[in-house]
Amino acid sequence: MKRRIIVALGLVAVLAVAVAATTSAATKKTAANSITVWLQVDAQTGWPDIVAAANQQFQAAHPGTTVNVQYQSWTDHLQKFDATLAGGGGPDVIEMGNTEMTKYMAAGAFAPLDKAQFDNSSSWLPGLAASGKYGGKTYGVPYYAGSRVVTYRKDLFKQAGISKLPATTSEYISDAQKLLAKNKQKGFSPVYIGGEDWYVAMAFVFDYGGGIATQVSGKWKGLLATPRSIAGLTAYRNFFLATSRAPKTNDGTKPNPYDVYAQGLVGSMVGPSWFSCCVGKKYTASTGQFVMPGHVKGQSMPGFLGGSDLAVPVTSSNKALAAEWIKDFTSTSSEKALHAKGNIPNATNLLGNSVNERAAARSWFVPTAKHWVDVENGNILKNMLGQILTGQLTVKQAAQSASDNIASVLNQP
Amino acid sequence: MNSSRRNRRRLRQAGWNAVGLAVFVVMVFPVFWMISTAFKSNEQIIALKPVWFPLHPTLQHFADAIHKPFFWRDVLNSLIVVSVTVAVSIVIAFMAAIALARYRFSLREVFVVLVIGIQMLPQAGLIIPLYVVLARYHQVNALSGLIITYMTFVLPFCVWTLRGFLLGIPKDLEEAALVDGSTRVGAFMKILLPLMGPGLVATSVFAFITTWNEYIFARVLLNDQAKQTVTVWLSYFLGTSRNTDWGALMAASTLTAIPVVLFFIAVQRRIAFGLTAGAVRG
Amino acid sequence: MPGTSTTAAAAETTLQPSRRQRHFWERPARFSVPYLLIVPVVVVIALVLGYPLYWLGKLSTEKYGLFELIQHHGTSVGFANYRSVLHDQIFWHTLVRTVIFTAVNVGLTMVLGLLIALLLVRVSTVVKLMLSSGLVLVWSMPVVVAVQIFYWMTNFQNGVVNYVLTQLHVGNFEQHDWYATPFSQLSLVTVLIVWGAIPFVAITLFAGLAQVPRDLVEAAEVDGARPWGVFRDITLPVIRPILLILTSLSIIWDFGVFTQPYLLIDQSKITPGNYLMSTYLFEEGYLKADFGRGAAISILMLLIVAALSVLYVRKMVRIGREAV
Repeated sequence: MKRRIIVALGLVAVLAVAVAATTSAATKKTAANSITVWLQVDAQTGWPDIVAAANQQFQAAHPGTTVNVQYQSWTDHLQKFDATLAGGGGPDVIEMGNTEMTKYMAAGAFAPLDKAQFDNSSSWLPGLAASGKYGGKTYGVPYYAGSRVVTYRKDLFKQAGISKLPATTSEYISDAQKLLAKNKQKGFSPVYIGGEDWYVAMAFVFDYGGGIATQVSGKWKGLLATPRSIAGLTAYRNFFLATSRAPKTNDGTKPNPYDVYAQGLVGSMVGPSWFSCCVGKKYTASTGQFVMPGHVKGQSMPGFLGGSDLAVPVTSSNKALAAEWIKDFTSTSSEKALHAKGNIPNATNLLGNSVNERAAARSWFVPTAKHWVDVENGNILKNMLGQILTGQLTVKQAAQSASDNIASVLNQP
Repeated sequence: MNSSRRNRRRLRQAGWNAVGLAVFVVMVFPVFWMISTAFKSNEQIIALKPVWFPLHPTLQHFADAIHKPFFWRDVLNSLIVVSVTVAVSIVIAFMAAIALARYRFSLREVFVVLVIGIQMLPQAGLIIPLYVVLARYHQVNALSGLIITYMTFVLPFCVWTLRGFLLGIPKDLEEAALVDGSTRVGAFMKILLPLMGPGLVATSVFAFITTWNEYIFARVLLNDQAKQTVTVWLSYFLGTSRNTDWGALMAASTLTAIPVVLFFIAVQRRIAFGLTAGAVRG
Repeated sequence: MPGTSTTAAAAETTLQPSRRQRHFWERPARFSVPYLLIVPVVVVIALVLGYPLYWLGKLSTEKYGLFELIQHHGTSVGFANYRSVLHDQIFWHTLVRTVIFTAVNVGLTMVLGLLIALLLVRVSTVVKLMLSSGLVLVWSMPVVVAVQIFYWMTNFQNGVVNYVLTQLHVGNFEQHDWYATPFSQLSLVTVLIVWGAIPFVAITLFAGLAQVPRDLVEAAEVDGARPWGVFRDITLPVIRPILLILTSLSIIWDFGVFTQPYLLIDQSKITPGNYLMSTYLFEEGYLKADFGRGAAISILMLLIVAALSVLYVRKMVRIGREAV
């Protein structure tokens, strides 16, 4: 018995030593002559070749340095980043969502960059470029963007007698009635929008000339209760009630709209252009996209410009090299390759004519405030929409309360 | 008379078996749903009417899962981390449990409070300071750093549970062995260890599963995909801003559950052995 | 230190004259055997958690946001963080909600776990293997995956639960949204947690039941004792320490459970109306990058859980004291 125990303990000791050996070897390797890049896993699945090309270009110019790309998930990359800010060992380049930038820029997390160093920087997309600027300095380099489009069933539209695509929201509403007349299944939505999908709702607000919040001499003022914003919210409510059968308290992420589409219960849906990937084998051939119309003929509905920026954390010990890598990854050829994959490139001179890009011509963005992330996490806008659609509060009441709430959150020290 | 009693016993046994099977079906249904989804086509997965048994199962999702980068490497990492953690933790926890259950020493209450107290700490609050400490000793992005972290969180539970099992074994047994002339250590080995079989197994199964499924610390402490554990690998399915491949995620989850089940099947004989040992004791 | 154990032993001998034998573990340990035995555990815990605990305590008295995190330096504000939390209505509502939530979860887990353990003893070998393997299968599912499965099974659109309930004519559950109200949301979280916790309790209790002397049970049955009597007089005393341990652990875990509510209810639907202590800590402390406040809430949670479980812990310590 004793012998067996000694043998077991010995095995464990051997294992432990093995682990320690591999560990110390590994930590030594990362010390000198390499830079660490944190990109989101979307790049790993979507365009690994573009990453590889940038790495090659970088290593050709800097033969002694290796590039260590570590892929992150959106759900917790900020938590990890916080830990590295506190304890060191963080990346030299990090990909940040454009709505995540302001909070970190205000806290001094990034090193300032020289805008002129990067390709096409004079014609960067205004929406993206704004997310990388703070206090007059540039901290983030626009990487790529995506807008919102309508993905629709061409066959259902044809069957309902819709000969041309709607050019205004009122035309869209009447088209929706035609679709409803021809598709009586329970749960069928001519336009599938989650009631609390604030990306769609705020588009209406901006379409009517309203806004979410603006800074007046250093203090944030809520704009949701202004007459124009209220007109937009009312228009949204009418549009939703007339065209969508998704629950009023659903925010459009669960279930995924494209899953509902694949079940045959959707005439059209509003969302990112890549939604067309997953509409199911049955409907892929009959799926098309068009730009969501605004309420005025000839003007598109402003689309939310979602996207990513690349920044250099202030804890990096290779800031110059990091900036060089970003330059290689956002070079004209790199951005053209990203464009070919269906993304919106970071500069206006590289824009093509796809539906996605035409939708980006008129866009809106969230207030670039340090505490904007708290507004999103606090679900203020979503709750407001839920209250409006369920009739719990009038548009004016809900908007006023949300506006005050937002102002107080944004004005926190 | 004998046969009727035997029949009654058989009927009762059958009744218990029926109840057991019903419980099995209810408890295992979500797992069954996961496994059957792994074999369904994408259309069947989102179908409005649930598909119970996919009639034309597809292996595509399993192929997709295995071909996702670093699968085998991460499985190996998980195995290393979990084996070392469980092996070392059970040994030193057992030692500490013996001290608590069989000895009196003045710092005993303090130690007990420490052991229980650790489990009351909200783990979310410890992530950042833990990272800072480990970074100082270059234990970040290293399997050894993760192992020692897991041990810290698994030890209190192991000590506490093993102590409970030990307290259930009457000391008279060891005493009798001592009177018979065996040494203290010999008494532990010959008497305690066999009776502790079930307890040690249950505790090591718990330690195995907890460490195998742990996610938060593995995520924060390991950066290189080549060093990550399989739970972190799984999280990449859900962390993308694009569409999630549900079929592949279910297939991947099924695969990651296999080692745990194998481990349990390997050790569950010990529990049965413990039962018969009790009967022989009589 | 050896002196105290001799006096304690002497005291015990005088109090209980029947236990006159001196057990070997009561003799003053020459090489402090018990201390040697606990050293490895203490060393590991101290090494890893020493600094984090100090950090947590220090931070709870500082103003420490993202800016301070990057500077590695906070400004001391005394007990302001604690005052702000204790004056927050939401904190108290959340506390009450969490206590009720914990009581329901622990109650269900322990009762169902014990019943299944007792069942495991009585079924035939084949069913025993099936059921215990099934329990381990459930136990081995990563929480993240379990949440996704549960969500699917309960989603209003094509969830299998709605389908089955409607087919069984329990009512019309077509398109029923189980995530509409906080009560419904937290009930689903309870089902998920209890389902995931039962295997551990059942298997551990089953292992504990293995220590019940079979011959005693058989003798009692021959003497005509009813099953409840056998359970109460023979089984219960043996498994009492384990029951207490499992209950106290369940209280501690269920009070601080985070992953299940956070993922199942989904971050976008987490509001003060369905906060539990852990999601409250996460939202108010970490999402808002107010680490000082988060540290204060962590310490308060620690104190509350300690207070809640003190009765059980004391009972367990007393058992240990009596036994030795």
